[in-house]
Amino acid sequence: LLWKESWEFSKNPMASKGTPVHGPRIKAIEKARDLFAETKEHNFESKAADEHAKLLRMQQELEVSTKQAIFVDSSISDTIRTCIVLGNHRAAIKVKTEFKVSEKRWYWLKVFALATTRDWDALDKF
Amino acid sequence: MAQIPNLDNAPINLTSLRVHYQKELITILKNIRGKKCLVIDPKLSGSLSLIVQTSLLKEHGVELRHLAADPLQTECPKVVYLVRNQLELMMPIISHVQNDTSKGLQREYFIYFVPRRSVVCEKILDEEKVHNLLTIGEFPLYMVPLDEDVLSFELDLVCKECLVDGDRSSLWHIAKAIHKLEFSFGVIPNVRAKGKDSVRVADILNCMQAEEPVTCDMGMPEIQTLILLDREVDMVTPMLTQLTYEGLLDEFLHINNGAVELDASIMGVQQEGKKIKVPLNSSDKLFKEIRDLNFEVVVQVLRQKATSMKQDYTDITTTTQTVSELKDFVKKLNSLPEITRHINLAQYLSTSTSKPSFLGRLDMEHTIVESEGYDICFEYIEEMIHKQEPLVGVLRLLILFSLTNLGLPKKHFDYLRRELLHSYGFEHMSTLNNLEKAGLFKKQESRSSWLTLKRALHLVVEDTDTANPTDIAYVFSGYAPLSVRLIEQAIRSGWRPIEETMKLLPGPHSETKKGGFLRGPDSLSGGSSNIDKVTDGRRSLVLVIFLGGVTFAEISALRFLSAQEGMAYDIIVGTTKIVSGHTLLDTFVEKMS
Repeated sequence: LLWKESWEFSKNPMASKGTPVHGPRIKAIEKARDLFAETKEHNFESKAADEHAKLLRMQQELEVSTKQAIFVDSSISDTIRTCIVLGNHRAAIKVKTEFKVSEKRWYWLKVFALATTRDWDALDKF
Repeated sequence: MAQIPNLDNAPINLTSLRVHYQKELITILKNIRGKKCLVIDPKLSGSLSLIVQTSLLKEHGVELRHLAADPLQTECPKVVYLVRNQLELMMPIISHVQNDTSKGLQREYFIYFVPRRSVVCEKILDEEKVHNLLTIGEFPLYMVPLDEDVLSFELDLVCKECLVDGDRSSLWHIAKAIHKLEFSFGVIPNVRAKGKDSVRVADILNCMQAEEPVTCDMGMPEIQTLILLDREVDMVTPMLTQLTYEGLLDEFLHINNGAVELDASIMGVQQEGKKIKVPLNSSDKLFKEIRDLNFEVVVQVLRQKATSMKQDYTDITTTTQTVSELKDFVKKLNSLPEITRHINLAQYLSTSTSKPSFLGRLDMEHTIVESEGYDICFEYIEEMIHKQEPLVGVLRLLILFSLTNLGLPKKHFDYLRRELLHSYGFEHMSTLNNLEKAGLFKKQESRSSWLTLKRALHLVVEDTDTANPTDIAYVFSGYAPLSVRLIEQAIRSGWRPIEETMKLLPGPHSETKKGGFLRGPDSLSGGSSNIDKVTDGRRSLVLVIFLGGVTFAEISALRFLSAQEGMAYDIIVGTTKIVSGHTLLDTFVEKMS
């Protein structure tokens, strides 16, 4: 069991750094997720890896639809911010619901993002 | 002013130590005849600048370069590399050599490892088939005197290596450094150690003494007591914001090898984007006077100096003066640049420390240390994460919170970890993993002993008068650093009376006395059992070594301690590196390549 654990840990940084090719990278992260899932105490890590893979997929889609290569490798919060700054509120809300972002954090992100775009009207309404 | 500090007032002869290293380096360079290009590992350049002036190097026909990956541009037929024995530093060297050979350039290469060669590095040189082109040597630089009472081993990763990677190779380095000191200053008779790495260093030191005894009859050893302390024993202190002048300078501007590099505009020089280097050591009389004071007081002292200067000036212009009075005045004028320099620095710090965000943070640190209002602290940290404030700053507070509670309840632990990953990116999974392994941010498993510790060691002192301090707690405006409390105890009465409290802190502790050869005539007749005390009225000397780094605030507290009445001890601080919460945590944070 010890051996398996250490292997999982060595696997994890490799997975999160990953290769520039996205397909294999997501696969590696999903593999890590499954490995983490095998032991009970790594429940948290397994879930995080799962979310990470999901996030990368979503970011790829966003990059294709917006034709801007600015999403991959930013955090969930950053992704939401970028969406709002670009005026793509639908995508922002999609990310929010997908990752169950709490209302508290959502408000901070939205305020900051609207402030960067100097969209004072929207900030007022909000 | 020179960056190399004046060491004449040091309690032991540190100048000789510096001269010794200087000579050794010059000998190396002399032995390589003709013009040569000295390529220095950037991390070593700071320590070297404290040992030898560049002008002296130039006298020996040296062209200076920093080690970098791109090809080496030099006319010199001989290239000397001066590097730490780190694996990743071999790559640029290998590429330099290969680049030269592919161009058909014939050069002589020398590598000097600091402080000693390592098998791994040579192996990699061998595999890349450049080993036979190189001459390999060692420059045994084990420590650098940073100031008249501070020695640094310049090992910045020790804390992380020991706590996370389980790599303890640096412990040998530290023991070796102490052993080398003993050759100059005599075997240290009393050794106290707290923490598993410290105890191990004490053991290694014992072995070294057995294998290679210090053979000299210098009579009394110059250092009477050695106290070794793991940083792990007290991680709370570095997480707090330092409030001494020097400490705050480090927090905001990062002091490196006794100097800060800052924008010229701070010093009142109007030049866009220009950086200037300001040396900070005790050769600067004014700095020596104010470095250890609480910053609140520093401003007052500076104001006083400035007004008295002005007063003198009006006196001069209005009344007739004797020549000697004039002379005094001119002497005072000489200190004007120093006063201006520190006023500029203090002004810069003032603007930062009066910000509400800074004050709010101090308030929160205090609340956490008092362990009051768990919920308020939790929400404050949560909000910081949501606002995506700089990660290291958030982690500092979070770790403080986790340490004083001996971990967080699983629900909160998982929640905050998830929020951190969401806000800062999933790559920080390994950052969290590092912190958990080091026990800095973890799940709560048992009840916290912080309150007991706080009470037993009297860590929180009410009504601290920062202007006329009576206790070391002034360095954090009301919190006495745990580490320094332990040292205070060790010097005053040893650790036996607080055995129970010591058990609450991580790691074992040990106390050893090496008597025998030390007995002078006076102790024979008096039969004094306490070797700690030196009877001839000389102040005895304590060497305190922090494994994993020490903060400036703690050094200030130690200086304060040795200046107390009834303390017949001078203290010299040895450390693997001078750290602040930021530089310490930075080693734990996963870097995105």
